[in-house]
Amino acid sequence: MMEDKFQIVGIQNPNEDAPNQVDIGRQEGVRPIFPRVVPIQKPRRHRDKPILAIVLLLTIVTGCLACEMIMTKDPAYMDLKNYNLPPNGEFLFGTDSMGRDVFSMIWYGGRVSLFIGVLSTLASTAIAVVFGAASGIAPGWLDELLMRLTEILLSVPSLLLVVLIQAILGEANVFSISLVIGVTSWTSIAKVVRTEVRGLRESEYVIASKCMGGGFFHILWHHLAPNFVSSIMFMVVMNVRGAIVAESTLSFMGIGLPLHVISWGSMLSLSEKALLTNSWWMILIPGIFLVVTLLSITSLGNFLQKSINAKQSNL
Amino acid sequence: MKIQSRIRSRCHYYGRKVLLFLFSVFLLSIVVFYVSRLAPGDPLVSYYGDRVEKMSSEERGRAEERLGLSAPIFVQYVRWLDNAFHGDFGISYKYKMDVVEVIRGRLGNTLILGGIGFFLIFVFSLLLGVLCAWHEGRWIDRVICRVGTIMSCIPEFWLSLVLILLFAVELRVLPSSGAYSIGGDKDLVDRAWHLVLPMTVVVAGHLWYYAYMVRNKMVEEARRDYVLLAKAKGLSKRAMIFRHCLRNVLPSFLSIMAISVPHVLGGTYIVETVFSYPGIGTLSYESARYKDYNLLMLLCLLSGILVILCNIVAQVVNERIDPRMKAEVVWETSRDAARVNGGSESAGENEDAEEGGGEV
Repeated sequence: MMEDKFQIVGIQNPNEDAPNQVDIGRQEGVRPIFPRVVPIQKPRRHRDKPILAIVLLLTIVTGCLACEMIMTKDPAYMDLKNYNLPPNGEFLFGTDSMGRDVFSMIWYGGRVSLFIGVLSTLASTAIAVVFGAASGIAPGWLDELLMRLTEILLSVPSLLLVVLIQAILGEANVFSISLVIGVTSWTSIAKVVRTEVRGLRESEYVIASKCMGGGFFHILWHHLAPNFVSSIMFMVVMNVRGAIVAESTLSFMGIGLPLHVISWGSMLSLSEKALLTNSWWMILIPGIFLVVTLLSITSLGNFLQKSINAKQSNL
Repeated sequence: MKIQSRIRSRCHYYGRKVLLFLFSVFLLSIVVFYVSRLAPGDPLVSYYGDRVEKMSSEERGRAEERLGLSAPIFVQYVRWLDNAFHGDFGISYKYKMDVVEVIRGRLGNTLILGGIGFFLIFVFSLLLGVLCAWHEGRWIDRVICRVGTIMSCIPEFWLSLVLILLFAVELRVLPSSGAYSIGGDKDLVDRAWHLVLPMTVVVAGHLWYYAYMVRNKMVEEARRDYVLLAKAKGLSKRAMIFRHCLRNVLPSFLSIMAISVPHVLGGTYIVETVFSYPGIGTLSYESARYKDYNLLMLLCLLSGILVILCNIVAQVVNERIDPRMKAEVVWETSRDAARVNGGSESAGENEDAEEGGGEV
């Protein structure tokens, strides 16, 4: 009698989709303080899909990839007659203090920003997977030492570390800055990989593969990676976000990409001047593009994690 | 007899922690030293400044000999360590002063910004988290979660820019840079006035994530059996939340806050630079731009030591409160922290939606 009316947390309810479910608190006219009794609802498989985020992200990515077709001006051309113009018919997003067209720069520069995000994520994921797996497979003392090392790397604020490494590499370009960001952002993924590998390394198929003479990378790629890929997927997506933020912050501060390499960050590095002349469009427009991209990536990542978790719990 | 052995085991425990700390600092110093020696640029310049260019090659050789630059790098490291123990970290190339002196002048400002910011984050995230858990699933909870997700995607430097644009340029009510007006360094009101914007950014940048964590832990806690018991006993909601749930959430919150120090620290660095606030952050930015390696090295070392210390404090807090926690578990905690960092929003939204669905 009870079970078709209420679902109690932790107890399986067979009639998930029964329409006339009533909340216990509601029925007795008492508002539940802490909802011990969770109201039942329809399974929502398609409702959570972040449609808006996907559409926005796709728009931005295709816009950036196909920037040659969208751009109305040459993004690098400095039109000295029309500098610091607010948005108008000819210059849709205005021009910056060097006379470049902001609208064209957004699409052209977005390509660089997104590329750095992806490239540095690839770098950091590669490092993290190899390092984490090595640490997970290694004997106790080596594992301890490697993990101690990651903790020390974590202990220096990553901004400072980036600055230091960038100073060593000299003038930044797209590849060096991706490398620097990648090298400084792999530790959290490595920790997850290590924990997963420690759980997996005693399993029969790994031992069997070892006995048949499988090398470290063979085992890693064919036996370990398929097992931990779902648990690091979310962190990898978030890493793209982190890398884009890092690039824009560095370029903004003048330690990252130089002014003539157009990216969202280097566009924002002109904002000190923009503040003096009160040219809001130079600060707001690249920033809004940046934030919208980051938000879309975040909700995409959240969705990914949710769907992966759902799969795991169904098994 | 029993007490003695307990004291001994305590000493043993803290001794191990201190050793661990020293070992980590030692490793850190090696890493920082080697990296800074890899850096391009003439180390002689950082000792003698521009005079190096006027030196003959013989003089250079002698100077290198005297500074020990011709020795192998580990000998240099040992010498550097020896000097460091005597409080000599070299001379800042840009400021032509002892590095320690340069940092001492700036440290206070950063401590004010970072310390008060950290305290505010701590208090507000608890308050917001409890508020959300209290009104779980209602509009206020949903609004706060939504705002938090959006705020967590806004880079700190851009938030600072927008605030400057709005309050300093457009409305002209707040100062946009510095720690005090010219000649006003003794004036507390003036200082506080200059702190408003940077502090807002520091707090707003970090608050949401921790508030989110508190909220999720509270919500999880509210589903435990003892809460049901408390409810059956007729305890008020206030008593249940503050006396029972919050008390169970606090330990993990404390350890996360201790681990969070590097994030807040890194945040103040960026904020300081944007607002040209004369603190450690601006200093490290300058030292990186002007290749002032002695200064940069000490700054890296200092922040690293602070972070290592905080990590160990977090471990101790965890183990004192919950003896089941062993060293292995602390790894898990920091791993969870990394996961929660991104995962918090999704978990929250999920619960959010579920609760919301029930209301409709």
